Amino acid sequence: MTALIDARSLPDATVLTPDLAIIGGGPAGISLALALANSKLNIVLLESGGLNFDPNIQNMYAGTETGVRYTALDAGRLRFLGGSTNHWGGWCRPMDAIDFEARDWMPHSGWPITRKALEPYYPRAQELVEAGTWMYDKSDATMAALAPLVPLAAGGIYTSWFQFSKTRDSVLPTYFGHRYQQELRAARNVTPYTNANITAIRLAADGKRVDRLDVATLNDKRFTVKPRQVVLACGGMENARLLLVSNDVMTMGVGNQNDLVGRFFADNPIPRDVATLVSFAGPLPAYYGNNTTIANGTILKATFAPTMAWRRQAGMPGSLTTVDDLVDLDETGRAAVVTTALALGVDASNAKAYSLGCGMELEPDPERRLTLSAEKDALGLPRLKLDMRISDSDFARYRKTLVEFGRQLLGSRAGMLRLKCSSRDDWMKTMDWGNHHLGTTRMSDDPRQGVVDADCKVHGVENLHIAGSSVFPTYSASNPTLNLVALTLRLGDHLKKVMT
Amino acid sequence: MKRRTLIGGVAAAGAVVAGGIYRFTNLFVKHYPPTPYDDLLDRLTDREQAARLGAKAAGTFDVPGKAAALRASLQGQSLGATATADIAAGRLVEVDGWVLPQTVAWLSALAAKI
Repeated sequence: MTALIDARSLPDATVLTPDLAIIGGGPAGISLALALANSKLNIVLLESGGLNFDPNIQNMYAGTETGVRYTALDAGRLRFLGGSTNHWGGWCRPMDAIDFEARDWMPHSGWPITRKALEPYYPRAQELVEAGTWMYDKSDATMAALAPLVPLAAGGIYTSWFQFSKTRDSVLPTYFGHRYQQELRAARNVTPYTNANITAIRLAADGKRVDRLDVATLNDKRFTVKPRQVVLACGGMENARLLLVSNDVMTMGVGNQNDLVGRFFADNPIPRDVATLVSFAGPLPAYYGNNTTIANGTILKATFAPTMAWRRQAGMPGSLTTVDDLVDLDETGRAAVVTTALALGVDASNAKAYSLGCGMELEPDPERRLTLSAEKDALGLPRLKLDMRISDSDFARYRKTLVEFGRQLLGSRAGMLRLKCSSRDDWMKTMDWGNHHLGTTRMSDDPRQGVVDADCKVHGVENLHIAGSSVFPTYSASNPTLNLVALTLRLGDHLKKVMT
Repeated sequence: MKRRTLIGGVAAAGAVVAGGIYRFTNLFVKHYPPTPYDDLLDRLTDREQAARLGAKAAGTFDVPGKAAALRASLQGQSLGATATADIAAGRLVEVDGWVLPQTVAWLSALAAKI
């Protein structure tokens, strides 16, 4: 079994010469290492943190923010083995085929690959995130046997499904560092280093390949890694930061010849209490409001999603509307229910009302971006500055989705909806964020439109790849972990081909 | 006076009183003064609740101006059928955020206005 090496114990000026260096020990880095475990490749996994939270290491994530209120840069991600899965909620849902498509109403949208390219990798990704049997949108019959789904008239919204990473001790999902530490150590060709911070990606003089990685520890050890191939897997913020700070050969930063690195940052906004859903017949089935474990151990929760057909026809982004808490109606609400139910000839004497939340997909915006600030971290690297934005059209489109949902509830005589957000202030008042860091090293076949190509290779740099959700050029409303793991496994197959 | 006559008289008087209470007080059923829109407002089973909802629509649209359209859409159709047709056609109106069939929203606003 390979030891987990604390880089602080390495002799100064050590030079490692692996076949592959994976920078980052989060879900992408660990999934890639496991995908290539026991291959002929000699791999080092370089994790900045240790095995547990350390405030001094975490502080290197601190940065500044402008624009709309957003999670502090050192609060929405975690810098130790397992990365941000260490505070992951375990929500899983595959991206829809339309999430990969260019949409004419959404500038900068579209992937150079389709969902079909990820499908071979979803089963293994599902195993890695431990989300049980692959059911998702095949869950209707199983769950309807427990209680009937909310009937909806024909239209743009349907009941879709989240699955959840296996719970441990009631609440904890798959924290990749804890869960896969033994597997990493058991892989004879993988050497994980902890407390190893990359301070620069050094390119050869012609800028066409990575020559070496500068690595430092907080106890002031410096060493070098000279790999044949590098995979950057530090998360949607840090991937961009490391490329931008590595500016000695390419003065704009590695891969940034077209000023794209750090741009198009995105997250999934999660506004709370966006609407009130009234169910005329009484309580909704429990699986709408709560995670529900079924006989095969799979954990599911229903969500209301726009169909792909309606998204294409109406020009709607992804969204996943969830049922949250039971709420009381005010006098006007009771009058709305009585009047509408009587008009429709429905008995609403047992009606129940619920607050709804949502996970939204943002439109790509090049001005929503990460740049380097003048402030430095403990190793002298410039900290990040985020200009966070959300457009009025993001809200307006989701609002139309809710209106369609309300129409379908009325049409089926199942219930009705009250929209609670009309102004930007309304939306922002209850805004939460998924802390899904997306888009800063986006994928495109065209180097003028993307930082990496369809194989996740950085344009113009032959031995540098990027793993993780930073390569997502369009974002989806689905939570990214399952999807980024699948994409990373695909990268693993690609590396096997090009390196062996 | 015969017993039967007495009972009949009391019953008749009671019926007259009950009828009066029903017709001239709001104890059993709320009575509204006549309006030019009674043919429309009669479609509402619970006009009081509708008015409560409709009050939130104040100023959002020209309520009396909708009467002709309401008459046209309700002609020969029940409120339920008209509302269903609104829903299918996407003719929806928001009142205090509630997504309503247009006919229900307009009738409610009319009930509040009168």
